[in-house]
This record gives sequence, structure tokens and C-alpha cells, in this order.
Amino acid sequence: MTSKKLYCNCPTNYAEVPPNTNVCPICTGMPGAKPMMPNEGAIDAAVEISLMLGCEVVKNKPIYIQRKHYDYPDLPSGYQRTSLPIAMNGVLEGVGIREVHIEEDPGQYDPVSGTVDFNRSGVPLVEIVTEPGMRSPEEARNFLRTLTRVLEYTRKVRPEAGGAMRADVNVSLEGGGRVEVKNINSIKGAYRALKFEMQRQAERIRRGEVVTRETRAYLESQMITVPMRTKEFEEDYRYIPDPDIFPIIITEEMVERIKKQMVEPPHLREKRLARQYGISPQAARVITSERELADLFERVAAEVQPQLAADWFRTKLKKVLNYVNLKARDVRFTPTQLIRLLKLVETRKIPREHGELALRELVKEPDDPERILERLGLSPPKPEELDSVVNTVIREHKQAVCEYLEGKSEVLNFLTGKVVAASRRRADPREALAILRKKLEEIREKGI
Amino acid sequence: MGTLEKIEAIRNGELSATENVELALERIRKLNGKLNAFLEINSKAMEEAGEVDRMLKAGEAGKLAGLTIAVKSNINVKGLRATCASKTLEDYVCPYDAEVITRIRREGGIIIGMTNMDEFACGSSGETSAFGPTDNPAAPGYIPGGSSSGSAAAVASAMCDLALGTDTGGSIRNPASHCGVIGVKPTYGLVPRQGLIDLGMSLDQIGPISPDVPGSVLLLEVIAGKNQAEGMMMDVERVSYGELNGGVKGMRIGVSPQFSNLTDPRITGVIEKKVEFLKDLGAEIVEIRLPHIEQALSAYYLIVSVEFFSATRKYDGRKYGKRIESVCGEEVLRRIMLGSYISRREYRGRYYQRALQVRTLIRKELSLALKQVDAIVGPTVPKLPHKLGTRLTPLEMYAYDYLTIPANLAGTCAGVVKAGEVNGIPVGIQVQGKPLGEEKILRVMRALEVESSKSG
Repeated sequence: MTSKKLYCNCPTNYAEVPPNTNVCPICTGMPGAKPMMPNEGAIDAAVEISLMLGCEVVKNKPIYIQRKHYDYPDLPSGYQRTSLPIAMNGVLEGVGIREVHIEEDPGQYDPVSGTVDFNRSGVPLVEIVTEPGMRSPEEARNFLRTLTRVLEYTRKVRPEAGGAMRADVNVSLEGGGRVEVKNINSIKGAYRALKFEMQRQAERIRRGEVVTRETRAYLESQMITVPMRTKEFEEDYRYIPDPDIFPIIITEEMVERIKKQMVEPPHLREKRLARQYGISPQAARVITSERELADLFERVAAEVQPQLAADWFRTKLKKVLNYVNLKARDVRFTPTQLIRLLKLVETRKIPREHGELALRELVKEPDDPERILERLGLSPPKPEELDSVVNTVIREHKQAVCEYLEGKSEVLNFLTGKVVAASRRRADPREALAILRKKLEEIREKGI
Repeated sequence: MGTLEKIEAIRNGELSATENVELALERIRKLNGKLNAFLEINSKAMEEAGEVDRMLKAGEAGKLAGLTIAVKSNINVKGLRATCASKTLEDYVCPYDAEVITRIRREGGIIIGMTNMDEFACGSSGETSAFGPTDNPAAPGYIPGGSSSGSAAAVASAMCDLALGTDTGGSIRNPASHCGVIGVKPTYGLVPRQGLIDLGMSLDQIGPISPDVPGSVLLLEVIAGKNQAEGMMMDVERVSYGELNGGVKGMRIGVSPQFSNLTDPRITGVIEKKVEFLKDLGAEIVEIRLPHIEQALSAYYLIVSVEFFSATRKYDGRKYGKRIESVCGEEVLRRIMLGSYISRREYRGRYYQRALQVRTLIRKELSLALKQVDAIVGPTVPKLPHKLGTRLTPLEMYAYDYLTIPANLAGTCAGVVKAGEVNGIPVGIQVQGKPLGEEKILRVMRALEVESSKSG
């Protein structure tokens, strides 16, 4: 998401401002208005996304901006500007990427009130076209999730913002024509639309009816697809190169510059993390679900045992973040604070359960882990305190003490458990055991 | 009084901007009823003149201080109507100033009003305006030429000092020729088009129309140069044409036999005399070949129609009240339908792509010719204007454009200066130059102008 529109300097935060306030003669297509040069940030973003998807970028060749003509109230000039492919032949987790190109978004038309809001008109859009190859709605859903993760990693798009990611999906069953479904605004919507459409087509085929090639619209409120007015898809778009815009040329230098700034794509990072740190694929998947989470993990794994860190990230940290509805990029604790907490766990200075309680607190009210533990009353006991707890335990378990003195050394474990419990699990068992042994040996020598 | 003398008079205080605007308004009141050159007068012109007078007193006068500028009705002037002489945009009050208007205002020019034109600049006679044709002040009863008919007529009848026209296939040069005034179509991309309502985006240029060459030079210097808010522009910051009176001695001037093949011999006669003049002044006359010039016409009409079809999609009846196809005149409708037809998927290869190939050919041919010479001279319009109201077929009408179209297809520059008359009707000589070759063609034009004034 760039801050400016594709062909003018209007801001792109269309959802946050009153209707028709982010507009100018250019993005409302006033008579006589001419586009400015395409926003370079948008081209960079499209190139970066293409590279992350493993595409071949079209280099040193004019990439024309085409006018795609159609008649709809949200389209102020009666055409949409769309580039020829800027990259081709990519692959993301087994799904072929046919091409990537840049478009301008139309405005937003409300058929009920008959009004149009042009705030969105001219906002840059990257269109990613896949090859046919997904065989089920589940596969499509997985692909869209993976794709979303890639887009989030670039920080150039905000897929979680409503309508910032839209999909047109195609369904083709054996024996029927290909049907395109438009108007899908979420991954869930895509999944439901595909499910519905497959059932609808299968039903028709079963009844011996023909599935004609057509374009349908997904109605989110009813979770069904309906035919779009025939005119809208049978129309010939009469593409012409836009005479008002020089074609885009992507140079080798541009690609190199973008490659340098680019982060490792998440699907590749996921595999690397598993390999490099010897962690499970499941943990690697969760850790790379957010770029900032993966960054945090790699910092932690440099100082804490990686498998332990991975386990904590997957089963605890992610859960806490989800619970308080926080993205990894929004956490307020420092990596060092997390590292120190996990080190306490790693060295068994605190039990796992206390570590978990401290983690929750770390997310909500960040502080140094020692202070958090203290705040929660979970700091390891001071030597005098531990000493007195041990004494109490010895006093209250005479029977066991006798058994120890008689040579049943395994009783020591039982007593250690009692000490840990009496310290409200704050005492380090090894330390408790050492003190116990020392005291019991003293008793053996001196008598009670 | 020439343009430069008038500027001098205004600077000296012999004539105030207010008086100059009054003069223009007086002429308009007297003549516009008959000529129909203006569609709307700027009601704030006097107010603006007062402001310019104050600035003149303060010594902050711009290059155009106090001059009255008429603007073709396809250029946005905030608060006035850019109707394109069409019912479609009858009520379109411009919400912004075109970049050229901003530049004119900055230099103290006063927009006096919006001029009549062929509807959406589709026409070569000035007759397709939805608000009635414009008469030719230099040859009353004859068409003034088009499509910048009102601008040329306003200059020719001294209803303004200078005017803006636009030229897509000859729309500045053609009426300049018929009305006996100066007109320049600048190199494509030299003058910002931001705010110019489209006919053919790859061909359109705004340019000056003036009573004398220095007037065009002045206006061009003000409006030309790169605009950051616009993509399709030459990398030229500002232009300044310095010494125009340098004469043509030693210049190589091209002429082509293809011109006379297409042209009324009476017009050719007038042009040849001027070529002789140039020779006498010391220019070297060189024969050049433009073998495909005749093909330019059909390629042009295909390209312009496709671009115009695209440009008019916004007049869908939603935002400007009237759907273009429902209210426009027949020439506009013809082009929209032609454009819609040949841009169809199944035809674009056969027509549109071919037209683009011809365009490339013309561009190569013209640039090859221009490599051999400093300028090419020849007739502007191959035939004399017809009488207002005469019914012509579209092809007869299009034939007016044979000689002006190549410069638009090639993106080069060209200007027109009066060469003489045939039966009392002005005939203009066209001077064509290389891309950004304005300085040279203006020098040739100035030499011709000075020569004509001497010979009376």
C-alpha cells in the first residue's frame, strides 16, 4: 500500500476519510485531466511481490499501460488503466503464477443509494494471476493463506484491511465450461464461493444440464453466486495503450536494488528455519506466520536453545498473542526481555508454568522478567526463605526424615517435592535437594 | 499596433490593462453577434485587469501583462465553461485551470473568454459547433477553418490580442491559414496538456494563434515547458526563442513536389512566390521526398477515432448530465462509432495496428526529410475554404487536412503565416520543423512576415 495513488498525489487511506475527499481532477477523470507518471513506489512493490513469488521480471522492455474500457458507475473515465505483465512464470508452493501486473482501483459504487465514492479510485493494485492447478477449495484456501503471508512480508499491502485483497476465482469441472466468480473480499469468502460453485456445477452436470462459460458474482451475505449481467462480461474491453503514459521500463538496476532490500519470502524462510534450527515443520510454519514473529524467533534462537524457543513460540507465545489479539509487529516487550525469560526456563531457574504466567504478563505489561516474577510473587525464594521452608518440611515430615536416616535415600525426592510445593513452586528443585541433603546429613551427624 | 508595441504601451502606462480589456470587450460586443467567435465572455475580466494594473504600478508586470487572451472551449479555465462546443458539456463549468492557463495568469495575461470551435475539435471548418458556425472575418461568408475556428476569428477581428488553439490534425494551422493570422502547432510534448479536453491524446497540442509572429513567440514561451504533474512531456524546462530577426540566409529550406500534387494550383502559385522570396533572402531551396504523405490521412482518422472513442467514455450521462452519443453532432458520432468499431478485438489488427504502422512510416519519412533541411515549407490547406453552409461529404471535409496531419502523426512542429490571397481569401504558408525545432520555423515565419509587410 503506497501513500499516494497511482497517477496522482491523492492519499490512499480511502476507508478512513469521508467519501469523495481524497480526490482530484485526475482520479475522478475530470474532462482534460491527464495522469501523472506512474507512482514509482507502486512499481517497486509490484516488482518485489513478483520476486517473492519467484517470477521472472520483464526487464528492459516497454511495459505498456493499457486502457480497459467498460461502463460502470465506479469508473470515472469509462476505462481502467492496467499494465501489461511486469513479471511472469512464478511459483508459490506448487501453484504456478502466470503473471503479475499493476492496475488502478475503481471507486466504490453503492447500488442501493446510487452513490459513488471516488476515494478509492486510482489506488494502486497488484493483480496476481495463477495457473489453473488447484484441485479443491481447500487447496485454494491454503494457497490464498500462503499468498497473504507473502504479501504481508513485503509490508506493501495490508491484506487484513477490509477489501485490500480481493480475488476472482475460476471453477471448471470436467464436462462443464469455466465459470469465473468475482466480488470476493476474503479468503473465507473465496472458500465458500468455491464450495458453492462446485456443488452448483456438479448438480447441473448430474442432472444432465450444461454448465456454460460465464461470469458470476459472489454474494457474501447469502454465501451464493449469481450470474452477472451478461453485458458486463461479454463486453470487448477494446484495450489500447494509454497515449497519456510512457510505458514502464524495469531496469536490471531496479531489480537488483529491490532484491537487496527484499526480505526472504516466508515459504522459503519456513523451510530454512526447520533445517537450520532443527525444529518441527509445524513450529516453523507458526513462527513464519508473521514476519516480525520470525524475526523475533531468530534473535531468541541465537541465545536460547532453538527447540525450546520454537516450542515456546508455537505453543505459548502465539497463543497469548492471539488471545490478546496482537500482531507480532505490535508487541511492546523487547527481544532481550523474552530471551531472559526463556533463559530462566532453560536453566530451570523457574518452572515452565511460572514461565508461562510471566510470558502472559510480558505481553500485557512488558517489563524485565525478574520484575514480572516478583510482581506475580513468583521470584525464586531468597536463601533464608528457602532455608526456613526446608526446616519446616523437615519438621513436618519426621517419618520421612527417619526413613532417610535409616538409609532410604529415595525419600529425598519426596521431601524435595514437598519443599518445592511449600515454596509455591518457586524453589529450584535441584537447589532444594542440595539444601535438604546438607541439612539431613547434619542431623545424621549431630542428631536432632 | 503589433503585439510587442502593445506590451510596451501597457508597460509605459500609455494604455492600461483595464483600457485594453475594455477595448476587447467593445470589439466583442460589436462583432461577436455576427462572427460567433466567442461562446462565453469572462465576466471577471475587468476585475482581473484591475489587478494587473495594480501589479503594473508596483512594477511586477509579467510577460503578458494586460494582454487579452481568448481560449478555445476545450481548455479548462476555472469558473468558465469548457463546453467543447457540444451539448454534452453544455453545463460543464471548469473546476480547475489547465496548466497553460495557470502559466498565462502568472504572467499577467487576462482570459477574455472562451471561443467557438468544431464540436470536440472534430472538424476542419468551424461548422460542427453545437452553438452555430463561426464566420471568417477575413473572408466573410466563408468558413474560418477549424477546429480552432473561434480563436482564429477572434484574433483576425482583433477581439483579443492573442488566443490559444489546439491542433490534433491541423486545427490551429488550418483556421490560421483561412483567417490570415499566425498559428503554431508546437512539438508534441512541449506544451502541457493538463486541462486540455482530449480529442486524440497522442496527437493533441495546445498552441498560440496571434496577429503577428512575435505574439505567438511570446505566448509559446509562456506556456511551453515541462509540467511535473504530467507524464507525456518532453524534457524541456522552459523555452526562449531569442533572436527571430536573424533572417533565413544560409538556411536549407525543403520543398516537396508531393505538395503541389494534392493542392489547388492557385494556392500553389501563392506558395511558390513565397519560396522565391526565401530564395532571394539567401535560403537554399532543397527538394525533398515525402512519398507516403497521402497515406497519412487515413491512418490519422483511424488513430484519432480510436483515441477519441476512449476519451469520450467518461461522457456516459452520469456525471455531466448528457450521454455523448445521445446529444452530439454527426461528425462526433461518426468518429466515436468508427473508433468503437476498429478497436474491437477482431478488427484492431486489421485497422488500428495498421494505422499505427503507417504512422511510424510517416514519422520516419518526415524525420528523414527534416535531417536534410532546417525547415520544410509548403501550403497549409490544399483547397480554398468553402462557403458557410455548403454541404460536404466527410471525405471532402477530411481532405482539408492532408498537409497538416503529418506533423501531428510525427510529433514535429509547424507554423503558419499568411502568404497571400486567392480571390480575397487568405492563404497561409506552412513551415514545418524538427521536434523542438520551433526556433528555426519561427525565424522563417518572421522573415516571411517582415517580407510581406514590406511588399504590402
